[in-house]
Amino acid sequence: MRKRSSPLTLTSVATLWLLVCCGAIRGSAEQAGRGQSSPAAQPPPQTATAQQYPLAQIESGRSRFAAQCGFCHGRDAAGGEGGPDLTRSPLVAADVRGDRLLPIVRTGRPDKGMPAFTLPDADLAAIVAFIHDQKKQADEATGGRRAVDITDLQSGNANDGKRYFDGACSRCHSPSGDLAGIANRLQGLPLLQRMLNPAQGARGGGAGRGVPTVTVTTGTGEKVTGRLAYRDEFTIALTDESGWYRSWPARQVTFTIDDPLQAHVDQLGKYTDADMHNVLAYLQSLK
Amino acid sequence: MLRRFPCSSTHLCVLLAIIALAATVAAQGLDPSALLHPPADSWPTYHGDYSGQRHSKLTQITPDNVHQMTLAWAFQTGQTQQIKATPIVVNGIIYITTPDNLWAIDARSGRQIWRYTYPANDGFHIGHRGAAVYKDLVYLTTPDAHLLALDARDGTVKWNVVIADAKKGYWSTNAPLVVRNHLLVGVSGDFDNLPGILKSFDPETGMTQWTFYSTPPPGTPNSESGGATGGQMWMTGTYDPDLNLVYVGTGNPTPVLNGPVRRGDNRWTCSIVAINPDTGALAWGFQASPHDTHDWDASEVPVLVDADFAGTRRKLLLQASRNGYYFVLDRTNGKNLLTTPFATVNWAKGVDAEGRPIPLEDKEPSRDGRLVAPDEAGGTNYRSPSFDPATGLLVVSAHDAYGIYFFKPEHGRYGWAGADYNVHGRGVLRAIEYETGKVRWSHDLSGGAGAAGVLTTASGLTFTGDSAGSAIALRTSDGSTLWHSGIGRVGNGPVTYELDGRQYVLLGGGSAVYAFALP
Repeated sequence: MRKRSSPLTLTSVATLWLLVCCGAIRGSAEQAGRGQSSPAAQPPPQTATAQQYPLAQIESGRSRFAAQCGFCHGRDAAGGEGGPDLTRSPLVAADVRGDRLLPIVRTGRPDKGMPAFTLPDADLAAIVAFIHDQKKQADEATGGRRAVDITDLQSGNANDGKRYFDGACSRCHSPSGDLAGIANRLQGLPLLQRMLNPAQGARGGGAGRGVPTVTVTTGTGEKVTGRLAYRDEFTIALTDESGWYRSWPARQVTFTIDDPLQAHVDQLGKYTDADMHNVLAYLQSLK
Repeated sequence: MLRRFPCSSTHLCVLLAIIALAATVAAQGLDPSALLHPPADSWPTYHGDYSGQRHSKLTQITPDNVHQMTLAWAFQTGQTQQIKATPIVVNGIIYITTPDNLWAIDARSGRQIWRYTYPANDGFHIGHRGAAVYKDLVYLTTPDAHLLALDARDGTVKWNVVIADAKKGYWSTNAPLVVRNHLLVGVSGDFDNLPGILKSFDPETGMTQWTFYSTPPPGTPNSESGGATGGQMWMTGTYDPDLNLVYVGTGNPTPVLNGPVRRGDNRWTCSIVAINPDTGALAWGFQASPHDTHDWDASEVPVLVDADFAGTRRKLLLQASRNGYYFVLDRTNGKNLLTTPFATVNWAKGVDAEGRPIPLEDKEPSRDGRLVAPDEAGGTNYRSPSFDPATGLLVVSAHDAYGIYFFKPEHGRYGWAGADYNVHGRGVLRAIEYETGKVRWSHDLSGGAGAAGVLTTASGLTFTGDSAGSAIALRTSDGSTLWHSGIGRVGNGPVTYELDGRQYVLLGGGSAVYAFALP
């Protein structure tokens, strides 16, 4: 979350990260595949607090949702072009009458491409009602949706994956060290996404995982090292040891960046699909 | 007593009649023939002219003085919607749009002249590409797939017609294209299995002149498309007046990720089609992505260039396509002259005899996922490129990216019918040598996504935006940065015009419009 000023608790920041990894199911606006049984389908997270909404409000929310949210999240809230399936979102499951959703709607998530929305309160309440109703219907529907299930991701060979891992990954990772028990912490699609690019959804999320380190040398020869806070063509910024944000014009200083996750990006051009599935199978065996 | 004029005195009546007559004679509207040779004080159509080159002959702002360029004015829309539209500039007035909104702004001062807001509706409010002007009318397409003609002087609605049925899933973000007495308008509709539609309207009356379908309409044999629907023409085309052909890119097939239910090439999805604007008849088509299963439409701007190719002067069409390949065609007949990647790609096993990439079956979306470059957002997207004739460079907002693509039969055969996720991306501005496809320079855009459209000028400047929220000016010959301003994310194509001897560069930054000029 780039917007630190948004009224989000640490818990909801973590939940948001889960939303990115677990709930990002895209699909058509229609209910493709609904009703077809898929015994392996993962159940969506349960709604924590049951809520009732008037039918008229849900219907009003349906049209407002379609207009404002439908392109990215799908007209049925089950995922569209770029936006996650809200009916499988842990954040929606935890939401009570918009207490989790509305702060995000109002401030947006610019780092994920979601704009802020300025809408009348009645429209916002109707949109929340519609999302909860869609979730209720999705929970009650049987069978597969536009989801990627754990059972879909079992095509790899763990032995081949270990061989690949030993050659390509073991410089930074160890099955008995940082990856011990990884399969207990992450499964299925979130594990695959983390494996391919740990930076996605993690950086700036408070966890500090894989944040690059930068050392800036100023014009006077002062050296400052810290966690990379910002970088574009014109500005370099870090968070120093005391927690302060410091920035410089990029052209007036020299700097070196150590990005521990760059190897993951480089690997994307090297994996075959078989390699990818094999390494995933190996990681799934690390329980 | 019957009065022709609602006047209280005969003298006033006569005076008003004279004024009305004078107004008719000295009409400031845009004569459509001006689009053939746009005046320097205007940007009268989406691409600036019919070629799609987005290249301006203005030279007041140069590589030597651009560092002095400063803010002339800014216009705040007061909306949260990012400006993705290209401004239209006619008669000293700028017309700029967001979904449901059209503003007329004084091009000298940035003051609002009038604003039109379309009533609340249920269409997708995802973006808007811009307006079009014909005589005294300015056109706005809407999220519920209507086409409105407004009086360009005051924003009064003259007429409002339906382009396509929004209830079926069509919407429109399109900036219409005026060709003589035709107004060409496209729609979007990716989330439903719908045929692609381009319509021509009478610009005066709004009557439909013809409809072109890129995939067969309901009730007709769909053997040509192999059962596919889709191929939406949501971007503005280009036009060659000598050949009398309009060139438009078509969108991806539907269902989007489910390939097995629509075997074959799925014509004319992911294609460049050449259409006669008088009849809507197809002259030729070229398919950039046969049997696409990754949402890579070929809607990107078909740029028209007359230049040497292999030693012969030719009428060329250049496209940097969303699938990561750069194409050069002979636009008289659609024959391919060159196909070569300009961004990271891993989905094709070669190029066929017609110059079309041959998709790898292994890279079709699958149950266990396929790692594919580019991702869904593509090697480039709607952001317009620019062609600089002096250097022969096509400057493109490119995107090196990977995604994982999933499809299983349980995902169904309607709409998206699958799931895909971006894994990693990087926005890079690339300058492509038009004749070889070789990348002469790349300029990192400081972020994971493509950013803005591109403008080049005859003084050797390239204007665009980076992914981090700066407007930038580069030297076109080598891509080096000469100026920047952190105005927020530039989402549209910059334009330029000269008024009162002063050259302005207009960029949308966030939800505002910024005009820059020399001090």
